Amino acid sequence: MAAVNGARGKGALARALLRLFAVQGSYNYERMLGVGVGVAEEPLLRDLDATRYGPAVARGGHFFNAHPYLAGLAIGAAARAEHDGASPDQIERLREALCGPLGSLGDRLVWAGWLPFLSGLTMAAIALGAGWIAVAAFLCVYNIGHVALRWWALKAGWTHGTRVSVALHHPMLQKAGAVLGPAMAFAVGAALPLTAAFLSGPFDAWARIALAIVAALSFILLRLRGDRVNGLRLSLAVAALALVAGVLWP
Amino acid sequence: MTLALYRIDDRLIHGQVVVGWGQPLNCSFIVLVDDEVSSSDWEQDLYRMGVSPQIEVIFASVEQAAAQFSDWEADARVGILLVGDVETAVALAARVPQVKRFNVGGVHHRAGRTERLRFVYLTDEEASKLRELAARGVEVTAQDVPTARAVPIGEFT
Repeated sequence: MAAVNGARGKGALARALLRLFAVQGSYNYERMLGVGVGVAEEPLLRDLDATRYGPAVARGGHFFNAHPYLAGLAIGAAARAEHDGASPDQIERLREALCGPLGSLGDRLVWAGWLPFLSGLTMAAIALGAGWIAVAAFLCVYNIGHVALRWWALKAGWTHGTRVSVALHHPMLQKAGAVLGPAMAFAVGAALPLTAAFLSGPFDAWARIALAIVAALSFILLRLRGDRVNGLRLSLAVAALALVAGVLWP
Repeated sequence: MTLALYRIDDRLIHGQVVVGWGQPLNCSFIVLVDDEVSSSDWEQDLYRMGVSPQIEVIFASVEQAAAQFSDWEADARVGILLVGDVETAVALAARVPQVKRFNVGGVHHRAGRTERLRFVYLTDEEASKLRELAARGVEVTAQDVPTARAVPIGEFT
């Protein structure tokens, strides 16, 4: 146990963090992030004795899916549980139980919070004339938050082991969840009209009216048939239609 | 309203359920039927963290679910019922004849299972149990997200 703490423990955590950046590259439908999670967990298992190391590494590569930025929490917790002598069944159940909450929490915090919030601010800044500085600022700020979240998750899992739910009750996470939703809505809401005005600026008045009509019809279609149509498919279809129209009617 | 979705998903509560299905269905409660989770406080604590505070999560064993099923069906809100494996789905359907459909939303790789769809891996025994369930009048389809096609049982078992 002592061997996994101190400088060696920090080195192992740093190696696990570096490997975590590749976790999405391991995605497949059979084990989803499992193989990447197993690879990232391996440095934290090296101090186990030979009889436990192999089975622990194999367990790490089993099916696993969660938000990639929070997967470190499961990795740290499972590795700590291996060192604490938890039973294989308990470790498997811990991993299974963490899949859903980490996926759901990560989706809300990052994909539906941090990322669209900063994207909205960036689009608004570009529309207001900030140019490439806004893009550079987006990349810096987004990735500071992203890497900090990965590091916090890995460290929290490693600290708490099977009691990892303590980490998920952290006030910072609760506050971030409560603040990011409205902040994202505000940023995207502010960015949409600014961006629309910025992008449609070079066009004639009739083209801007056509754009507004298409946008309104698309919004209604998504509201009424959101079970069959999604924003990406509709956007691609409308873009293809616009290209065809542009060729036929120059 | 009622229970709008009966889903078999070994990840139980996760983003695809909460966001992918929960939002378009305007879901207000999730019933998680699992004998082990229903008696495990730490697992319940973790699963509760996967949903926003507005959504109620109810944990039940198969027996408890059979006893309370009519209450959930009569609930004015929209709900989703989740089970983690084929056995639990079969056990629930056997006790509750009102269960008339199951959506296989995600059963993933384990030793002995083979790929049936990219999100459905089943042993031969599990596939056979699903066919028996369908033969008893339960509509069994596979569909991971609402925008995907509901694959009939004959195409994946």
